[in-house]
Amino acid sequence: MIEVHELTKTFTDKKRGVIRAVDGVSLACRPGEIFGLLGPNGAGKTTILRILATILSPTSGTASVAGFDIRAQPEMVRRNIGYLTGSAAPYERMSAREMLAYFGALYGMAPGETADRTREIFDELDMNDFADGRCDKLSTGQKQRVNIARTLLHQPSVFFFDEPTTGLDVVSSRTVKRVIRRCRDEGRTVVFSTHIMSEVETLCDRIAVIYQGKIAAIGTLDELREQTGKTAFEHVFLKLIGEQEDE
Amino acid sequence: MNTPSASTPGVITRKGGNRVGIIFSKEFREIFRDRRTVFSVVISPLLITPLLFAALGSLINKQVKAARTDTFSVGIVRQEQAPLLFSALNKLPNFHFVPTSLSEAEQQIKSRAYKAVAVLPANADALLKDQKMINVKVLVDPANDSSREATTRLNLIFTEVGKKIVEKRLRDSSLPAGFATPFKVEEQPISSGGGAATVILAMMLPYTLAVAAFGGGIYAANDQVAGEKERGTLETLLVTPASRRDIVLGKFFAVAGVCMVSSLLAVVGMMIPFFSGLKAFEWLAKGGVTLTPIAVLVILAVQLPLAVLFAGILLAISTFAKNQKEAQTYLGPLFILVIFPAMMSMFLKSDSGKAMALVPVLNATLIIKQGLSNSFDPAFIALAFLASAGYAALALTFATRLFQKESVLTKT
Repeated sequence: MIEVHELTKTFTDKKRGVIRAVDGVSLACRPGEIFGLLGPNGAGKTTILRILATILSPTSGTASVAGFDIRAQPEMVRRNIGYLTGSAAPYERMSAREMLAYFGALYGMAPGETADRTREIFDELDMNDFADGRCDKLSTGQKQRVNIARTLLHQPSVFFFDEPTTGLDVVSSRTVKRVIRRCRDEGRTVVFSTHIMSEVETLCDRIAVIYQGKIAAIGTLDELREQTGKTAFEHVFLKLIGEQEDE
Repeated sequence: MNTPSASTPGVITRKGGNRVGIIFSKEFREIFRDRRTVFSVVISPLLITPLLFAALGSLINKQVKAARTDTFSVGIVRQEQAPLLFSALNKLPNFHFVPTSLSEAEQQIKSRAYKAVAVLPANADALLKDQKMINVKVLVDPANDSSREATTRLNLIFTEVGKKIVEKRLRDSSLPAGFATPFKVEEQPISSGGGAATVILAMMLPYTLAVAAFGGGIYAANDQVAGEKERGTLETLLVTPASRRDIVLGKFFAVAGVCMVSSLLAVVGMMIPFFSGLKAFEWLAKGGVTLTPIAVLVILAVQLPLAVLFAGILLAISTFAKNQKEAQTYLGPLFILVIFPAMMSMFLKSDSGKAMALVPVLNATLIIKQGLSNSFDPAFIALAFLASAGYAALALTFATRLFQKESVLTKT
């Protein structure tokens, strides 16, 4: 469960002055649903996820993740989340198995528990063929599978996926989406951030459209279609952010 | 392919062990999988340094041998007016004296026909007979090594010939040798003193050690934060239960460890020429090195504050930089700042004033010099250790504070 109330984050830039990257965002994500954050590049999606994952501190507002306050209990928040971004890479000079052993130790898992869980994940993600080779020798899709394995290892109740299919081919992208659905089906809370309309349409149960740091709209696909009077989701999106459609 | 299953989600409360230790152990192991670090920390000091010394030794030996056996062609002006002296000089080995004129001398040196030209006075033989001083002028090209070498040898030869003339005169006058040479000074090394080669070691080791400690940590530190930012792995670490303090300390100890290993191996590499007994290093180790157990302890102990100080500085730079390239830009001028005091130790005496104990890097290198010369100044050492510990603490605090700043950590 995630609850966000009036979350704001400002940055100060020497040239541009104060920038409101996130501006009074409030939302709630429930267990067993995939909650989409949809917005153009620079809309504030990654900043929201970084605040919820306690990488950044909010300027104002509150949020709780898995029942823990992000300001007061950041360590408890981090213990209970899985965080995957499309830009993250695995450690180049480690193997997938070594990487999972490392993260298992950081999450406080016993070595035996980590080994069992690693075996299970490797089997299910078809990773056994490249589990012991250095990660810098892997393909982009294989690297992302290592990242997925790392995200799933400690079985958190909340997942943040920040544009996790960036740069992936269709097959690898399908694996990522399958993992995301599986997390939802197991009753976990999933926040999925993207700027790709088709991903939102096929994956998300509810969507928050983010534009210039604010929530432009929030609801299910049908609710948003009804609100805008448009059918194609690209048109729905453009209408919500106040952009003109091309003739 | 199925997707991984997991048990019903619930709140995770497991505490986790010593995360600083976990991060340190992973980082330290991973650093040594980087070929750049292996080369600069292991291969360079243990293989390249001794090989360079061996090559240098062979070059020096060759030159020394050549200086002993080479024949110098030297012009001599007014030899016709000094047949006695000319005949005496011509009997000397490794010299070929050729009569020439004063007007041609300079051009002949410039064209390297002669290494130098000795100009005798008009009445050299008469002056010799009258037991008067003969002023010999030697024309030399200061920019030419061979010309300078020939001049030095000429000087020695005239001194030697002069000594023989004096001895003959003393004998002819029935005077004792002490008449012309009242003192004869002889050096007697004390039993507890260092071997002659210790001087060379004391000059080179402190510098090598400081540079190795800093240089060895560069790739490791760059990779630790700037490299992780660049590759997108830092965010992955920041979302684990490890606190920022755990992360920075784990990385800090790993970099300090690499600095320590680097300086230790530099010491080992430096000792190979002095203690291996190999012929290739004879030129360097001639005279022997005396290394007491206390000196070894001091050399080892002094590396700790140096490694901690360097690790703090290197990690702070790596944290501040957006990427490894930017970090390298900052490290260039900083390397000069480290090399400068390290080089100063080559020229300063080990018992330089107490104020030197406050200069970072220089203080450590001077302690090593004291250790090698077996002449400790406890007050200097205590002050230097205190100062170094203070600087190291400052560097670590700075790196830790920097690591807490989200504007620095998320800068890409």
